[in-house]
Amino acid sequence: MITFKIDGQQVKARPGWTVLETAREHGIEIPTLCFHPAVSASGACRLCMVELREGTWSKLVASCIYPVAEGLQVHTDTERVRNVRRWVLEMLLAACPASPEIAALAAKYDVVRTRFTSHDPDQTCMVCGLCARVCDEVVGLSAIAIVDRGVHKRVGAPFAKPTDICVACGSCVTVCPTGAMQAIFDSVRGEPTTALTQLAAQ
Amino acid sequence: MSAQAKTGVFLCRCGEHIAPHINLELLEGMLRQEEGVAHCETMAFPCLKPGIEQITQVTADKQLNRIIVAGCEGRLMLNKLETQLRPLELLKGQIDMVNLRGHVASVSDLDPDQKAQKAAKLMVAAVSEMNALHPSSLTRAKIQGPVMIVGDGIAAYPAAAELARHKIDYLLTVPSNDPDDIVDTVHETYPGERVSHDRLKKIVKEGLSNPCATLLVGYKLEMLSGVTGDYHLTFTNPNGETEKFAAGAIIACLDAQFGLPGPGFGHDGVKVMIPSEMERHIQKSGAPKGTVVFWVSDYEIGQPEFAALSAKTAWQMGVHIRQCAPTSKVVMLYNQQMEVPLTAAERAQNRALDILWVPYDKAMQPTVQDGYLTFCNLSDHVEHEILWDYLVLSPQRMVSGQALNTAHILGLVHKHGRFLTGHHARVRPEMVGREETYLAGSARLPCSLQDTLAQGRKAAAKTAEMFHKSAQGDLFVPRVVCVVDPEKCIGCGQCQELCDCGGIGVADGPGGGLPRIVDPMVCTGGGTCAAACPYHALVLQNNSNDQREARVAALAQRLGPDESMAFVCGWGGLPAADVAGKQALKYDPRIYLLGVPCVGQIDACAMARAFKEGASGLLLVGCLPETCHHSYGLDHAWARVSTIKKLLSLCGFDRRRIALAHADLNHPLDFVKTMDSFTRSIAAMGPIPKSLENQNKLDALYGLIRNNTRVRHLLSAGLRRPWEEIYRGDQRHALDYDRDFSKVLAEEFLQQRLLMVFRKAKGPFNLDQLTGQVQEDQKEVATCLWDMVKSGVIHFSHMKHEAVYTLRK
Repeated sequence: MITFKIDGQQVKARPGWTVLETAREHGIEIPTLCFHPAVSASGACRLCMVELREGTWSKLVASCIYPVAEGLQVHTDTERVRNVRRWVLEMLLAACPASPEIAALAAKYDVVRTRFTSHDPDQTCMVCGLCARVCDEVVGLSAIAIVDRGVHKRVGAPFAKPTDICVACGSCVTVCPTGAMQAIFDSVRGEPTTALTQLAAQ
Repeated sequence: MSAQAKTGVFLCRCGEHIAPHINLELLEGMLRQEEGVAHCETMAFPCLKPGIEQITQVTADKQLNRIIVAGCEGRLMLNKLETQLRPLELLKGQIDMVNLRGHVASVSDLDPDQKAQKAAKLMVAAVSEMNALHPSSLTRAKIQGPVMIVGDGIAAYPAAAELARHKIDYLLTVPSNDPDDIVDTVHETYPGERVSHDRLKKIVKEGLSNPCATLLVGYKLEMLSGVTGDYHLTFTNPNGETEKFAAGAIIACLDAQFGLPGPGFGHDGVKVMIPSEMERHIQKSGAPKGTVVFWVSDYEIGQPEFAALSAKTAWQMGVHIRQCAPTSKVVMLYNQQMEVPLTAAERAQNRALDILWVPYDKAMQPTVQDGYLTFCNLSDHVEHEILWDYLVLSPQRMVSGQALNTAHILGLVHKHGRFLTGHHARVRPEMVGREETYLAGSARLPCSLQDTLAQGRKAAAKTAEMFHKSAQGDLFVPRVVCVVDPEKCIGCGQCQELCDCGGIGVADGPGGGLPRIVDPMVCTGGGTCAAACPYHALVLQNNSNDQREARVAALAQRLGPDESMAFVCGWGGLPAADVAGKQALKYDPRIYLLGVPCVGQIDACAMARAFKEGASGLLLVGCLPETCHHSYGLDHAWARVSTIKKLLSLCGFDRRRIALAHADLNHPLDFVKTMDSFTRSIAAMGPIPKSLENQNKLDALYGLIRNNTRVRHLLSAGLRRPWEEIYRGDQRHALDYDRDFSKVLAEEFLQQRLLMVFRKAKGPFNLDQLTGQVQEDQKEVATCLWDMVKSGVIHFSHMKHEAVYTLRK
């Protein structure tokens, strides 16, 4: 058993657990977006940041991928954590201004406007890759993936065409934290374009 | 694994998603009372590592053999739970999830106590299902013996070479054992590939001469029986005798054939040819002199998807001609809609050889004349004429002749009007996804020689991997597959006709009245075949009809008078409900959702059971029409629903109490409308009045649909077959069929009701008494009784000058 503290509360954990899992087990809330229990954590959205303190020294880590250790001093609601959370939410607001889910989450943390410029007012996807992870790890296919690089990064099917690999199970739509997958889904599933011709009559 | 259920129920608080909305203490208290529940606890997050470790601990301590987690979407989470709990020998089927968050907590405005009541009903139903489960033991699949490579396709040789590399014995059917003969005829199916012929010859030699090989020269496949790992193939040898071979796996290598374009294209085989004829010409008399025009006519012959393939092979042939006869001229004429399928290097070669590519306007079909070809130029819209000495057209591509015959025998043809790609194949040993059938060659889908050779290699590599897995003991039979009880099966073959995965056959022999067997490595667990079996001989193990009935019954008994239930299919209704729950869309809380993998696997008797146990309404929510993931599960559900509707009418109840609906997971708002409209119409109807008479009718309804083999046979016979392109409700006249079927139902229903009267009280009864009991027309009752006497169900005698009837023992 590993013993450490979250927000001053003494908690116990087993090796291999993460800070987020331990906090949730003890009823301490940490907001997340790209985390889903069905798949491995990736630490993409940085919303689950918590502060680790040791004397006068402190650092911020993503709790969903930070393993527990003896004697950690974790703080989930300090000024520094609140501040970085607000920054993350502001950036998310700029990245996906059309997502009502993001807007609602931001409003919960008193973020209602963003100082960053938004490039696409209709964007709902924050490219966290949760959908692609679900497709790979749960469904066992890779019908969708993160394609392109840098600012052009987006979720899509191979060659941006409906693909036969997709079995239209909708797991990606169900997990999507921003509701973006609903729009993308129809461009992934669907009949592949090859129309097939006749077999000869028997 | 004990059959006695000891179920552990784990309720998830899920942060603020479940706990504040549902009174979990109340729910836990109610569930503890239930039969079969050995453990019940509320946890913070059963899905995270701490939760799973806790579940593992409790399961081991209390020897639990069933687990139900009440939390969120089982579609997403079950996989993780099954993987994590596997060391405890808890397998697929023994772990279930109920989506309290998405189906109860977030979708209505009920107070936490009411939601706990609703959750309790759903949970008790799940527990009852677990009690009825007889888990199968984990079976290892054994695959050994030689691999049979059939079909005479060119992909057979790379497949053979790959198997030889893995030191697996194989039987190979070949038209000839001389590699030169084989390479000399390859242009019949793959023209324009002369560049690869040297390499191909090497592969063919390797495949033919390896010590692992047994060659069957000139053998023709006649019959296939058995299952994966234990196939028996019957061949006719060149002397006309029948020979039988055993094989552990089959690789089918089939190539598509070429047909001639229609008369409008002026094909004569001498000057106007298809590519295979041109290549034969080159082989016989060298490269042609003069102007050779390759017209990529795929758009005009109605197969535009193969234009690029035709153009590429034609171009390769053109290159060969230019290289062999530098004075000849080569022109490629193509429809403007096609993209020129050449790589940068090929374009450079094209420039060096000066081969002309000419696009033409798609609006006008080029016209063939003697020595000329008229086409409309794209840039100036002037009609030009190309002069030709030889004209080469695109061929019609099709699967025909021997290849089609072999495909039929192997069960690779399930739907007409298609190439063989994309279908569940008999020769597919594991559920590995649609594309990875163990079929290689252009009959799968027209492709180049390179692709075909790669497919052959891949098929063999996969087979070798499977052999290796089997030898290691790591190859398992899937959990949810059909099994046949040979004692009950009469060999009617309904299931085999309905099965789209090709998993049902007979152990040995041609078919007929022999009991069926299921190849578990091919079965996809769709289960409509099991639901169609007139004798309940076919059972979907770990997901059986008995389990479903237990779940339905437990829920129906607990439903309130204006509440109804709905089966939601795992590909349409359930994801739509999950998405609606995720978005917290509100709908009528009086509907209770039960997830099923496919609505097609719901036996009509499970539907009848709901009404028998007191449900007021039953809805089945499947995928959108024609998008069923298990081929025609949805249409089969329609036929079963319609039967129950007819029977409800016969009982004098409202037909609208059962209905089929369609949902798309991406349109949760439509799903909400469906739920609201059905629930309201049922609530407006009110429950079926509780009376002894009504209960007798409902019992008769259930007894009829569960046990009456005549009705069950008729129902199965009317279901849509995998080869039916369009389904109009029946194969014959729709109205005639419906009337006949209704008549049979009425007849059998009355018999069933009379039988129940006989069974309930000791006879003898006279006609008046019986008529009084069933409240039907006396004449009909008399006819029905006479039928029953004739079929030997009841006994007829005279007592005090009056006819009386008693039940025969």
